Amino acid sequence: MSRILVIEDDDVTAREIAVVLGSHGFDAERVADGHEGLRRAADPGYDAITLDLMLPGMDGLAVVTQLRAGGVTTPVLMISALCDVDERVRGLRAGGDDYLTKPFAPDEMLARVEVLLRRHGQQRRQMLLCVSDLTLDLVRHVALRGEQQLSLLPTEFKLLEFLMRNAGQVLTRTMIFETVWGFHFDPGTNLIDVHIGRLRRKIDGEGQVPLIHTIRGSGYRLAQID
Amino acid sequence: MHKLTDRWRSTTARLILIYGAFFALWGGVVIGVIHWQAASYLSHVTNDLIGRQASYFSMLDEPTLERGLHDYVSLETRRLNAFGLFDAAGKHLGGAVDALPAGVRVDGPVALLPHGLQRNDGRGNTSVRAAAVRLGDGHILLISHDTSIVDRIGTIILQALLWGLSLTVIPGLLGAWLLSRGPLRRVHAIRDATVPIMRGDLTRRLPLSRRGDELDMLAGIVNAMLDEIERLLGEVKGVCDNIAHDLRTPLTRLRARLYRLQQQFAEDGETGAMVAECTADTDALLVRFRALLRISELENQQRRACFGPIDLADVLREVHALYLPLAEDKQQQLELRLPEPLPGVHADRHLLLEAFSNLIGNAIKFTPAGGHVDIRARASVDGPWVDVSDSGPGIPPDQREAVTRRFYRAESCRSTPGSGLGLSIVSAIARLHGYTLEIADGERGARLSIHCRTVSS
Repeated sequence: MSRILVIEDDDVTAREIAVVLGSHGFDAERVADGHEGLRRAADPGYDAITLDLMLPGMDGLAVVTQLRAGGVTTPVLMISALCDVDERVRGLRAGGDDYLTKPFAPDEMLARVEVLLRRHGQQRRQMLLCVSDLTLDLVRHVALRGEQQLSLLPTEFKLLEFLMRNAGQVLTRTMIFETVWGFHFDPGTNLIDVHIGRLRRKIDGEGQVPLIHTIRGSGYRLAQID
Repeated sequence: MHKLTDRWRSTTARLILIYGAFFALWGGVVIGVIHWQAASYLSHVTNDLIGRQASYFSMLDEPTLERGLHDYVSLETRRLNAFGLFDAAGKHLGGAVDALPAGVRVDGPVALLPHGLQRNDGRGNTSVRAAAVRLGDGHILLISHDTSIVDRIGTIILQALLWGLSLTVIPGLLGAWLLSRGPLRRVHAIRDATVPIMRGDLTRRLPLSRRGDELDMLAGIVNAMLDEIERLLGEVKGVCDNIAHDLRTPLTRLRARLYRLQQQFAEDGETGAMVAECTADTDALLVRFRALLRISELENQQRRACFGPIDLADVLREVHALYLPLAEDKQQQLELRLPEPLPGVHADRHLLLEAFSNLIGNAIKFTPAGGHVDIRARASVDGPWVDVSDSGPGIPPDQREAVTRRFYRAESCRSTPGSGLGLSIVSAIARLHGYTLEIADGERGARLSIHCRTVSS
């Protein structure tokens, strides 16, 4: 069971985060202030940390900076009240692995923690990704469904790579937009849905087991569901 | 050239010019009066003298008259005097004057003959004053005196006064020009100082001199107003920031609790469906809330850290590729037209992407299926333009300003989903860059353009 350290000063938010994480099989422990958070985060037993940037005692940016200076590599999801891109850049430079702005949906937070854990767990970047009979060869830049080669546009290739690297996990539209396109704003329309729809038509042909699934209210998941 | 007209348009120059005009007018009146007075006095004195001489001659007996007339002519060495003696019928009997001029009445007043009179000594074409008297023997005596000098004195006085006047007016104009330079320089300084204020930098103030004159008074008043505006805006912003900050935590809690509820109820049940709806509504709320925070953040004008040289064509190609599938899904044609070469801009890449995304997303949203959306860049002297035109219903002129306001949604598009914040974000991004957002009629629908003005450093 993965252990998550939740550094958050608001009691209710912390409790809800803990419940959500708990219901998805994580062991969440909560700390309310910065100094205590830094002390506990140094424990290598945690698999991931969610860190509010506005904390009493010591602010989150200082916590993550000191953690990294101390050689702790535990992935950190920073949660900030500031949605400024400069702020995001500053947070990621200080050593954060991902950045989420308040107010946030817990499913969004959960999805991000899961992706962080998955990424941290992979020792080497895999170059051959397989889900069911779908194969993505990043060296030869080829995508196959069964024996059939798929013709993908560059963006579709990137999108598929992101879905396959995180196969089985829910990925929110925001996460997809941020990772695949590198944009940090709300695309507004059903933009991501349309892009996913196109990819889906190429991957999940007629008579084939569908691999891309829509998770209502949350996002998408690529998985083989038996 | 423009500066020169500016200078003449200044208040100081105008006052001096008006004053100068009055001065010249009054000077003209004074000159007229002096000239008229002097001329009439000289004329009066001359007339009086000639009249007296004529009556004196009329009283003399013949031998004395002859000698007297001889003296009258010969003693005046400049030969300004002349006489003519005529019998009762007007026949010439003697003297340099040949004929009785028409303008002279016998025993009448002294007459002015501006063209002179007929003389047999080769003179007489200058203006003279003449008088005719009847002598005791019935003969007529005409005496004349050349008064061209008197008339010339009038002209000399007139010329002298006109010279004096023009010598006063020329330094006056020069003075107006020079005097207006100082205040104008300060007005230009004030104008330069207002540019950043108009762009939204309310920390700037108008320059003050130590003179405490009218311009300083005015600048002082404007500065006091700016202080007050800055204070009020700060208060409003403080209140907004506090509200925003205070809302973040409850919104996060609300969404988290809804999520937990959603996990507990199956979605196909009545409660589950309602919870799902609540969650969807809350998510829409979060999207708008973030957009609002984003606008206020953009309006704080703090984000200049990420500015750099940007390839505009590259940004447009990227946004075009991003939205192409969406347009194709609506059977729309999304066309990108780029001139070669398109000059680069100094901007924040992410913000530009966001602004164009909003414009193109909007255009696609409001254009009916099967329509056209054109993205066109064009170069201009003061920076490139990016036009996004569509074949949608267009934006009526009276709503063009309102659409950039927060939450404004045109009457005709209330049924279309959206937050009503997209164009506010575009407008805020444009302002932050010093660009302008222009809304106009396109060929078929609306045309929204961003003028990426090159700001000279």
